[in-house]
Amino acid sequence: MMSAFADIFSTFIAGKTGARSAEVIEFDKLSGGAIQDNFGLTLDLEGGSRTRRQEFVVRQDAPSGVSESLSRPEEFRVLQAAFKAGVTAPEPLWLCEDPEVSGRVFYVMTRAGGSASPRKLVKADFTDEQRRKIVRRLGAELARLHTIRPPQASLAFLVLPDQGDPALSRVALYRRYLNQIGEPHPVLEWALNWLEDNVPEPGPTVLCHCDFRTGNYMMDGDELTAVLDWEFAAWSDPCEDLGWLCCRSWRFGADDREVGGIGDKQDLLDGYREVSGTGLDPAAVSYWEVMALVRWAMIALQQSRRHMSGEQRSLELALTGRMVAQMELDLLNQIQELEDGQ
Amino acid sequence: MINQPETRDLLTEARQVLLDSLAPELTGQRKYEALMVANAMGMAIRELEQRAQGQPEETDRTVTAFLAERSIEAKAGEDEAALAGAIRERRLDSTDPGLQSVLRTLTEARLRVNNPGFLKR
Repeated sequence: MMSAFADIFSTFIAGKTGARSAEVIEFDKLSGGAIQDNFGLTLDLEGGSRTRRQEFVVRQDAPSGVSESLSRPEEFRVLQAAFKAGVTAPEPLWLCEDPEVSGRVFYVMTRAGGSASPRKLVKADFTDEQRRKIVRRLGAELARLHTIRPPQASLAFLVLPDQGDPALSRVALYRRYLNQIGEPHPVLEWALNWLEDNVPEPGPTVLCHCDFRTGNYMMDGDELTAVLDWEFAAWSDPCEDLGWLCCRSWRFGADDREVGGIGDKQDLLDGYREVSGTGLDPAAVSYWEVMALVRWAMIALQQSRRHMSGEQRSLELALTGRMVAQMELDLLNQIQELEDGQ
Repeated sequence: MINQPETRDLLTEARQVLLDSLAPELTGQRKYEALMVANAMGMAIRELEQRAQGQPEETDRTVTAFLAERSIEAKAGEDEAALAGAIRERRLDSTDPGLQSVLRTLTEARLRVNNPGFLKR
């Protein structure tokens, strides 16, 4: 199957670049995603628009691709918009919507160097100056992404938040999720009330990545090489992306480094302001960190339901369900801290 | 019926074999899977310990007493659903220190089974 895919993809790429020949140097399945398969493909191309050795990533729906996230063609269009806006992301090259080619919809993008491993990054022995540099860069990347505003003809599939308020829209959505899940979660209900009662002044509605966290961007040393995993992109408040990145669950044990276990929030805000020209309210970022904990709890509950319903029996999904109490304890502590600080 | 050695003992020993003898032989995805199995077994062991000490019943009594003091009705065995519903319907004062305390009791009880290390951070 693997070598069949290698032939299919290399022929497809040769067709797109006009290469006379394409020799497969390396082809392997990359880690990540139950929703999609990622393949690394290194080719020696002769002739055409991209010659000699080229490294690509091919991303296609997994056989069991059940998901509420974006489809591959939608994700491709989001990636195109982000790349055009100057976000450091893999360059989206070609989308193939013809299922006759590989059996599934896929697209090809350039392959970035480095590693996305969160443990490696959080444990890395960076100087304070390197930490500032990385975190400012993360802020700058988000600011570039957030220059994309609705309406965008190519992104018409993205729905706008209800009543124009992304925060209240999320609160209503998560209450619906809790109803569907049918398991009582008093802490999440309590946190949702707090989120409803403490909505900050909404920012502009912008294109948010919505999964921008340590583990979803590639680093080569202290250099960011690519922002990955665009399938949750949505129109939302800019602070949703910053809150998700700072959320306690994504610090991988380095709890005192608020920005993804790497560095300080002030540097993130500074890096953001440098590109956007406008500052963000740190209190709004804190609010969206609370929202991030609730969202991660919702995702974990839904994942464990996929296991419990028999739709996808999996130890990993089952264990994710048992993580919800961690988010609940963080919510109790974090909301208390915010209340005490007022 | 007496059935020795007891289940908790069997599970503890089995988990130790997995961690000490099998996991070190594994790499990559297999190792990750072995550690997930050890994690699940750890939860089962701790749940048995908590039950032996009557902890789940004590947590339930705390919730029942909290609801009774605030005249919130709950069907037998559905205290947590009643609590969640009362919060959603805003029938409880969100600044009530007793509310936060009962929420903390429930959360900590789960973490003592799921991930006691998380309570020590």
